[in-house]
Amino acid sequence: MTAEAQRRRAFWQILLFAAGVLVLTVISAGSVYLVNKARSDNKWVLHTIEVENQVNALLLEVRRAESGARGYLLTQGTDFKADHEKAVAAIIPALDRLTRLSTDNPAQRDNVEKLSAAIETRLDQFAREMDFVRQGQPEKATALLSEAAAGDTTTKISSVASAMIREEERLFRLRSVNADQSQTLAASMTGIGSGLVVVLTLISIWLVRRSARIRDEAEARLREANVNLETVVDERTSDLREANNEIQRFAYIVSHDLRSPLVNIMGFTSELEELGSDIFRRIGSLTHVPAEGPPVAPGTNGEIALEGPDKQLSEDFSEALGFIKSSIAKMDRLISAILNLTREGRREFQPVRIDTRELIEAIVSTLAHQAAEAQAEIHVEPLPDIISDRLALEQIFSNLIDNAIKYLKKGVPGEIRIRGRTKLGYAIFEISDNGRGIDPKDHQRIFDLFRRAGTQDKPGQGIGLAHVRALVRRLGGTMSVSSELNAGSTFTITLPMTWNASNRKADQ
Amino acid sequence: MTQPVTIIMIEDDEGHARLIERNIRRSGVNNEIIAFGNGTDAMKHLFGTDGTGLVQKGKALLILLDLNLPDMTGIDILKQIKENKYLKASPVVVLTTTDDSQEIKRCYELGCNVYITKPVNYENFANAIRQLGLFFSVIQVPSAAT
Repeated sequence: MTAEAQRRRAFWQILLFAAGVLVLTVISAGSVYLVNKARSDNKWVLHTIEVENQVNALLLEVRRAESGARGYLLTQGTDFKADHEKAVAAIIPALDRLTRLSTDNPAQRDNVEKLSAAIETRLDQFAREMDFVRQGQPEKATALLSEAAAGDTTTKISSVASAMIREEERLFRLRSVNADQSQTLAASMTGIGSGLVVVLTLISIWLVRRSARIRDEAEARLREANVNLETVVDERTSDLREANNEIQRFAYIVSHDLRSPLVNIMGFTSELEELGSDIFRRIGSLTHVPAEGPPVAPGTNGEIALEGPDKQLSEDFSEALGFIKSSIAKMDRLISAILNLTREGRREFQPVRIDTRELIEAIVSTLAHQAAEAQAEIHVEPLPDIISDRLALEQIFSNLIDNAIKYLKKGVPGEIRIRGRTKLGYAIFEISDNGRGIDPKDHQRIFDLFRRAGTQDKPGQGIGLAHVRALVRRLGGTMSVSSELNAGSTFTITLPMTWNASNRKADQ
Repeated sequence: MTQPVTIIMIEDDEGHARLIERNIRRSGVNNEIIAFGNGTDAMKHLFGTDGTGLVQKGKALLILLDLNLPDMTGIDILKQIKENKYLKASPVVVLTTTDDSQEIKRCYELGCNVYITKPVNYENFANAIRQLGLFFSVIQVPSAAT
């Protein structure tokens, strides 16, 4: 998966989260607002009903006052009078209350003013009627009553009141609708908000699942890649082993088959040498005829001395044959060396626990004679024990110690030191000397087969170090040299503490 | 010896064959030497055209065998000789350039009587063959089974 896609997914997740929070906030705020609105709408509905009630209550009191006044007029009963007075007393507070209630509505306020004017007129009439009755002039009061009845005061009161009630009923309808609307709005808002939250949640879940799936796929791909990698490494390794085996077989066959013609060359060269000496002997016996007596029988007392050009010929002949023979001998040594190397390469290692110090001291004692001749002292310091192939280790150390003795500086007592230490599962051995040293430009070369460095004053084929390095590598280790010309050399060998047969078995 | 021993030499390298023959002669062995340059001819001679080895019945043979032949390995020849009832009593001397210990072991296991590695150094080579010739002149070779 690309980083771009990852970033985009993270961005979408944050966006979704923000959207969720926003939706929730909007729903909460909207709900609070709408609930408040519904409450105030309801209050107004209630207010309308209250106003209507108040109008009705006022009318009731006015009617009570009227009927009380009439009763008193007809019967002069004190009961009626009390009733009337109580009603009149209630009218004014009721009117006041209505006035207070209707302050919000200009139309109703006008109506209230009209109503209160009419009521005041009516109250005034009541007061006069009552006065007439008290003064014992009931007929006047009756006349006033009929006048009032005939007049429009009462009608006006009731018409104004009914107008007010109608107005309030209209308002009630209007406000009820408003309140309903607010409540529906609040409900739908909550519903839509919840729906949105659910949708956002679903999208989130989908995103999370998708990213989980992508991650799983990526993991699977990674595992597959790892497995593939191992397979590829195994394939390459086996290819390399195959190639290595091929080279070994090749080297073996070539070196082996080279021997056969060499036997002939050597054999017939020797035969030729025989023939040559026979021929020259004959020449000698023919040219050396003594003046008196028979020719000297060849072979009686060995060679017959040749003279002049014959002698020269014989010497040239022997010299040529000598070169041929020494070259053949050298070639034979090289071929044998290659054969031994390939044979070593095929030998199966037997890992055993090795007391390294004991092993090296044994080597040192076999080399004691050479060391004494070279005036060299060999110091073996405590060494770590390892599990490895004994023969291989013997060859490695004896080659290196032998080299150290062989290439000391002339006239300087040799000092050879073998040290060892361990590090991270590896044993590190150092073989150092104070010998003639190796020029840094030859450090690589000395490990090559048939290559040597420095003054060629010692016998050798240039095989030892190549062999040692091949062995060290087969044992799973590494080898290096640090040296300066005339300043001694130190060969460092790093070997695993425990040689594991399985990791190299496929070599065989 | 009731019957002169015939030396069968199976050696693909003519030079080697010549050197071997010369050195055997030098050691004073005058027996007949029949040389073969490849395995097929040698097999035909040893086992006859019918491949049973009946042709060699009653003859005394000594076989000198090289392992590296152009058409077959000497090991195969050795194996067949040692499995044949007429030939298995004949001494087989393996004379070859190979000095591989596995190869040597295998030859002795298959019934080879002597295994000699040809030395490159001619003096040693000539010595080895001459000694072999001396050995030939003293060993008793049984007649092939009747």
